[in-house]
Amino acid sequence: MSVESSEADLALRIAGGHPDAEAELCRRMAPRIHLYGLRHLRSSSAADDLVQQVLVTVLEALRAGRLRESDKVAHFVMGTCRMTVLDQRRGAKRQERLLAEFGADLVPAAPAGPSIDRERLTRCVQSLNERERSVVVLTFYDEQTSRAAATALGLSEAHVRVVRHRALKQLHTCMEGGA
Amino acid sequence: MTMAPDRPRCATPIDVAVLMDYWCAALDAAQEETVEAHLFSCDACGDRLRSMIALAEGLQDLARSGALRVIVPEAFVRHAAATGRQVREYAAAPGDSVQCTVAADDDYLVARLGADLAGADRVDLSVSLKGVEVQRMHDIPVNAQTGGVIYSESMVFAKTAPSSSMVIRLLSVEAGGGERVLGEYAFHHTRTIAGPPAWES
Repeated sequence: MSVESSEADLALRIAGGHPDAEAELCRRMAPRIHLYGLRHLRSSSAADDLVQQVLVTVLEALRAGRLRESDKVAHFVMGTCRMTVLDQRRGAKRQERLLAEFGADLVPAAPAGPSIDRERLTRCVQSLNERERSVVVLTFYDEQTSRAAATALGLSEAHVRVVRHRALKQLHTCMEGGA
Repeated sequence: MTMAPDRPRCATPIDVAVLMDYWCAALDAAQEETVEAHLFSCDACGDRLRSMIALAEGLQDLARSGALRVIVPEAFVRHAAATGRQVREYAAAPGDSVQCTVAADDDYLVARLGADLAGADRVDLSVSLKGVEVQRMHDIPVNAQTGGVIYSESMVFAKTAPSSSMVIRLLSVEAGGGERVLGEYAFHHTRTIAGPPAWES
């Protein structure tokens, strides 16, 4: 039976020059970075690029022993994600040299996302009440905020938020086969 | 939804509504940071977020498909048209009788139902075929200031429907259960898409 190394152990081993520790850290962190990228960049390919850029930056720092508190690897990766996205939004491309140097072969593929049963989803959405369905359509058609949906429907923002939460919980349950 | 391989269970899972708010960028900065810190150390919640993202993407596809019967605001119709979607619109005042159809390349079919909604606390939309109510949309969202309701018909239904007449009524439902007709609108649909209707083929 194998016991997973802690991230602090991995950080120390990477600083000591162990490639297997680098591979293990990449395996663990790539899906998390990818999720962060999906949320902030709204594109799977952009999230893939973010995974590469962040891992290269993190590995460089760990190899050089620049992470003072080795038990804060996850926090460091998250911070690196945030800075990288900010850089991207400023149009910076300062990671290109590092990417060219290290290549993408360190980076594991992001996990495939869950699939969804379209017919079931249609039935689940049709089972919502009218306000819930209108709020869901407005929210997801063009990723509208609660405020925009509220203005469009003549409802209060708080009401829209409550309706959306209720609808999504119902949809989640319905999609899991509970309703 | 299919899920990722087994993970260690999370002792403090993030609520699905919070995960969806996170995906929709509806959390404040502090809440967002808390969620992200959790996600960077918890793959189980990451898997749950992926499920919510799949749900959100499915909902987006569905919302854009025109396949739903739903009440929509003016902003929805404007946005659809502005983004290149083909929107077929029919406007009707109370008592109007409208000749209508739908084409193969239409993306949305909407009926603008004019009505004085002032004082109506709850409004239902009723659809009848051949004098029989076949659908009731209860307590639809209305904005009295807009002077009407925009009803988006399912394109799946409209494109497969035979020529037929449909009567839509907007009803004010009183607290005691009584109903008052705010408007009645007749739509006479002529099928123009080639081939037999789905339920006659």
